[in-house]
Amino acid sequence: MTRLKGLRPVAVVFAASLAAAACGGSSGGSSSTADKGEIHIGVEMPLSGTESTQGQPILKGVQYAAQRAGKVKGFTIKVIPFDDAVNGVHDPQKGAQNVQAMVGDTKLLGFVGPLNSNVAKTEIPIAADANLTMISPANTGVCLTKDNADSRFPYDAGCGGLAKQLRKSNPNNYFRVVTTDDYQGPAMADYFLQVLKIQKVGVASDNQTYGKGIADAFTAEFKAKGGQVVGPRNDYDQNTTDFKPFLTAAKNAGAQGIYVGGTTGTKVCQVRAQMNGIFDATTPFGGGDGIVQDGECVGQAGAMAPNVFASIAAVDPVHVPSAKSVIDGYKKAYPDPADYTAYSIVATDAGGILINAISKAIDDNGGNMPKRDGVRKAAASTKNYQGALGSTSFDANGDTSVKIISIYKYDSADPKKANDEPWVGQENFGEDKPTVKTS
Amino acid sequence: MATVAGALKQTRLGISGRVGGWIFYGVPLVAFLVLILPRLFLNPGFFLQILVFGVTDGAVLALIALGYTMVYGIIELINFAHGDIFTLGGFIGVLIFSLIGIVPGKDLNLGFLTLFVVIGVMAVTMAINGGINVLIERVAYRPLRHQPRLAPLITAVGMSFILEGLMFIWKGPNFIQSPDLLPGGHFTVLAANVDYRSIVLIAAALVLVVLLTLFIERTKLGKAMRATAQDRDAAQLMGIDINRTISATFFIGAALAAAGGILYGFYLHNFRFDTGFITGLFAFTAAVLGGIGNIRGAALGALLIGLIRAFNDGYGRSEWSDVLIFAILVYVLVFRPTGLLGMQVPEK
Repeated sequence: MTRLKGLRPVAVVFAASLAAAACGGSSGGSSSTADKGEIHIGVEMPLSGTESTQGQPILKGVQYAAQRAGKVKGFTIKVIPFDDAVNGVHDPQKGAQNVQAMVGDTKLLGFVGPLNSNVAKTEIPIAADANLTMISPANTGVCLTKDNADSRFPYDAGCGGLAKQLRKSNPNNYFRVVTTDDYQGPAMADYFLQVLKIQKVGVASDNQTYGKGIADAFTAEFKAKGGQVVGPRNDYDQNTTDFKPFLTAAKNAGAQGIYVGGTTGTKVCQVRAQMNGIFDATTPFGGGDGIVQDGECVGQAGAMAPNVFASIAAVDPVHVPSAKSVIDGYKKAYPDPADYTAYSIVATDAGGILINAISKAIDDNGGNMPKRDGVRKAAASTKNYQGALGSTSFDANGDTSVKIISIYKYDSADPKKANDEPWVGQENFGEDKPTVKTS
Repeated sequence: MATVAGALKQTRLGISGRVGGWIFYGVPLVAFLVLILPRLFLNPGFFLQILVFGVTDGAVLALIALGYTMVYGIIELINFAHGDIFTLGGFIGVLIFSLIGIVPGKDLNLGFLTLFVVIGVMAVTMAINGGINVLIERVAYRPLRHQPRLAPLITAVGMSFILEGLMFIWKGPNFIQSPDLLPGGHFTVLAANVDYRSIVLIAAALVLVVLLTLFIERTKLGKAMRATAQDRDAAQLMGIDINRTISATFFIGAALAAAGGILYGFYLHNFRFDTGFITGLFAFTAAVLGGIGNIRGAALGALLIGLIRAFNDGYGRSEWSDVLIFAILVYVLVFRPTGLLGMQVPEK
């Protein structure tokens, strides 16, 4: 019994840390009961207009993270929303104004956002000057953090030193919990080879930075893993309307599938539609997040919409074991089905990591209101944060160690069902030997 | 510079004689024999298939090019709005089809009746589109007929943007779906699958072009159009109603563009508010390539552009298509400034 007695304090500490881990990892949630005032965290999203269906659930995800954290070292966390939509669409200029407003709020130590990579471009310099921490739950543009695509799947991402330009001489203040577009092509290449067992594909792109990039990365990985890219490579421009010559040439060269880099707006789904009569409807077609969960794409592809596979540089939380408790808790707090999206769960991690960094910065500052630079430093040193996405660490660029690409498959020709497109697999390029997981 | 210009002129002169003709046609012929023809023997089926795609695309383009060439032939106006008139025709066609219950994805299975439905809808669409174009001519071009050439050119650019803007407001930024009433299935020649749809489309375009040629050569109004194109003042002195003749030209051009829009929709299924802008530019290029003002020239130019693109997409790399098309355009215009079949424009 004496031994047990001796162990007891240890057990208590252990139990407390477990409880803390369950609370989104904010170390020492309610260790201090003294009221030290408010700390503000911003949420910078399109909260009105068409993109509000993505922005609002993210706001709620961060609010849920704050609610789970409760009082942090005696400070009350208050979530302050900022809307970057103008006339219903995200606006980089409005985003910049929002960040300026945040910089002016001395209690505001960091924010979650933005949704769109082009908004991030105007926001990062302003926030960097003020040492304001940004954590995006949705930006996947390669050039925001890196100067080029991952060296394992090289292609020219056309960054031109953007990441450095945005930060100037300031230390990095920008982090993200989703991974980058350069893994989309390789993930689909692996999916084609490993799951669909396809050895020969035809490849095309819309000849723009994003589309050509993911098509190049797809080609590199597909060849490296023993597949063959056949027929003429087709980097079409906006003047091309008839893809049948390319498709016929690919078919002729033995293609068992087609991969096209681009977006619905640059006619990727029309290439699929024109496969009708040249390929069977069961022939797989791959693309990036430019065509994922998009009713417009399904409408254009028409009867050929089934068997279109599209990737997205984010996780599907349902398929991450560690996300279950967060999803359950979130759904209890926000029961409206419209509030639950993949991004709302990702946002709980973005919010949790920010609150965690604030908590650490409070400790570093002797329990007092931390400085913005302290929060930034603490966020940069995030290591193995246990949240919905599993274990997250940030590298020197601010990119996450969880590099999951999810793959979805259209199985209906009904545009209204595009959002329910089933998940068919994922690949984590943060692992040593990434492989496609289908369950 | 003067020597360069002089040398160029001499080259042109040198190349315009009989020997020049041999060189002019010889160079592309050799290129064709060396680059393209061997592929025919390597895989005749594939070659044929690409050929059919090229001719089909060319046929649709021809229907738009005719409108450009007719208008230019008669009043020397590059009607920049014509490409958008083509899109508008497609939009109106989709609207009328939907009014009678034919929407994309729903197979009504009309059987033989389909032909009559298509011809009926096409006729109505052509009439509406023609009417709109006549109205545009009345409002934006006719008052400027005796003004400097730049004025109607700019109002044409303006009309193009107005039409695009209105179609954007009407249908939004997304691609709209067209029903497809072309017959399915294909027959096989030399291992090539030739779609019936391509055949129907080429036939439809051919019929329209032949009807147009007959109309211009055999009817009174056609004669009036030719007379107006040749010399407006003389035609007027002969008692030809110039305004009516020019209106008729705009009507026919837009009607053909509407037919082109509907066929384009059948064949490629999608278009949006700005589809006509680019397609129109290529149609205009086709008209110049064949010899602006020349009906057969426009059809030939469109056919060439369709073929170049199809063969390059099938055998080469797609991003070279535009380079090739315009390189050939420059080649033709430098040595034959009047286009392949010669210009037919008003005499000064």
